Amino acid sequence: MAIELEYDRSLYGVEHKAGPFEITNEIIDRANSSTGETGPAFRSDEGAKEAGYRGRIAPPTLCCILVRQVSLPDVKVKFGRTQMHAGQRVEPKAPVYAGDQLTASSHLKDVYAKTGRSGTMVFVVWETTFSNQDGLVVAEVQESFAKRE
Amino acid sequence: MHSHSVSSDDSRASVEQYVKWIQVLRKRGHTIDGIVLTEHRKFDFDKDYSTLAGQYNVLVLKGSELDTRYGHFLVYGVTQALTQELDFSDTRMDARALMQAARQHDAIALPAHPGRFGIGLTDYIAQGESFHDVEIVERLNGGSRQGENERAEELCQSHNLVGIGGSDAHLTSHIATCMTDFKAEIKVESDLVDALLTKEFQPVWLKDIVNGASQS
Amino acid sequence: MHYFDEIELGDEIGPVEKIATDEGVANFCDVWGAPTPNRFTDAETAAKSGMPGTIVPGIMTMAMMAQLLTDWGGPDSIKDLDLVFRQPVPHNRPLTLAATITDVREEEGEHLVECDILMTGTEGERYVGGKAIVALKQR
Repeated sequence: MAIELEYDRSLYGVEHKAGPFEITNEIIDRANSSTGETGPAFRSDEGAKEAGYRGRIAPPTLCCILVRQVSLPDVKVKFGRTQMHAGQRVEPKAPVYAGDQLTASSHLKDVYAKTGRSGTMVFVVWETTFSNQDGLVVAEVQESFAKRE
Repeated sequence: MHSHSVSSDDSRASVEQYVKWIQVLRKRGHTIDGIVLTEHRKFDFDKDYSTLAGQYNVLVLKGSELDTRYGHFLVYGVTQALTQELDFSDTRMDARALMQAARQHDAIALPAHPGRFGIGLTDYIAQGESFHDVEIVERLNGGSRQGENERAEELCQSHNLVGIGGSDAHLTSHIATCMTDFKAEIKVESDLVDALLTKEFQPVWLKDIVNGASQS
Repeated sequence: MHYFDEIELGDEIGPVEKIATDEGVANFCDVWGAPTPNRFTDAETAAKSGMPGTIVPGIMTMAMMAQLLTDWGGPDSIKDLDLVFRQPVPHNRPLTLAATITDVREEEGEHLVECDILMTGTEGERYVGGKAIVALKQR
């Protein structure tokens, strides 16, 4: 018999909202310095304008950093004692500018089991849409977490 | 003999991308006749790749890679009847029952990456399990970490097993990194099962096969 | 700057070598708001999680891999970056980032380049791997 996954299935179809997150120059600076990002458009207004943007833009993975500030409910998976970050996907839809205010909307996408080098794992997948102050979608982020024994 | 398309949860390659990439490899002088899609925990009865196969002159066959309580098994010659008898999504499936059911349905199931740490057949054998039905294993796996193919090789030698090779590709450019060189001509899945039962094949690395000849 | 009409299947992006230092990881965790202690900056927590040592956060490796693509294709050229974190990534060790172009196509007026992207270690360890789609201009 297949593993019967026990978790909070009522979370499907529910959107969890978070934000606003202000994209400050300081946040972009700190993200850049920690990853060694030197792209001119990410470092200053002048660099961004030379590249054709109206102002300084954030690196395309900044929403992946912000998504952890979205407080998601416990899926209550009855399996495993540890959890690892298994994968991440980002689809940038529009530049994020310094000064933007972003809001996030997240939902549970899937829960499934598989086996690998670490034994049996249960994967929990969340999707988050980030929009700016004008209602423009700026990024779609998908996160996958693996619970294992 | 072992590849995953976007139909598997952890692959990022489409079948079209695989067959297009094979053209790149062929231009570089490598010989690749076909691929077998072995999607995780399922069999895609509804997927028909014959048009792509014809367009790019690449044989595209379908199989499955199933999770069992004794590691992953590759299944070739999957039929509706086999999927009705076994729940392909069961990650705790009995591997011995799988092998027996496969043969009863003119299919064949064999251990994938038997040397893989934590989940390879070699680990279960070391724990005292025995698998008398296993005669063929995946000796070369393109996704193996250091030491894992070596463990599979040792298993083949110690247990007198024959081995196939498979890329275990989850990305486009990883297709065909390991292959199986069959003596028999193969056109459909049943030919593949028959060819496996002859045991006349060997695993090969792509880099060792240029213009149809082994460089090793 | 790279242009779409110059790209061929099989072309490589990189390789580029990067190192995630202890300081860089600590700064990243600070920006990220990771709770402390954690397996990224605290050796004891890492050991309790079964890690061989403190590790680099997956999102930080993602940011590093994104840099490979934005340095190559432009600041907002990334349309899709989809990664699997396959093995724990160590601090202070050379990490090789490279991509192989596997598809080029025009789609809804955009010129798209698709690639397999990998972060590997000195012994060939495949730490992070996945797929990216980058939009380029035509010359």
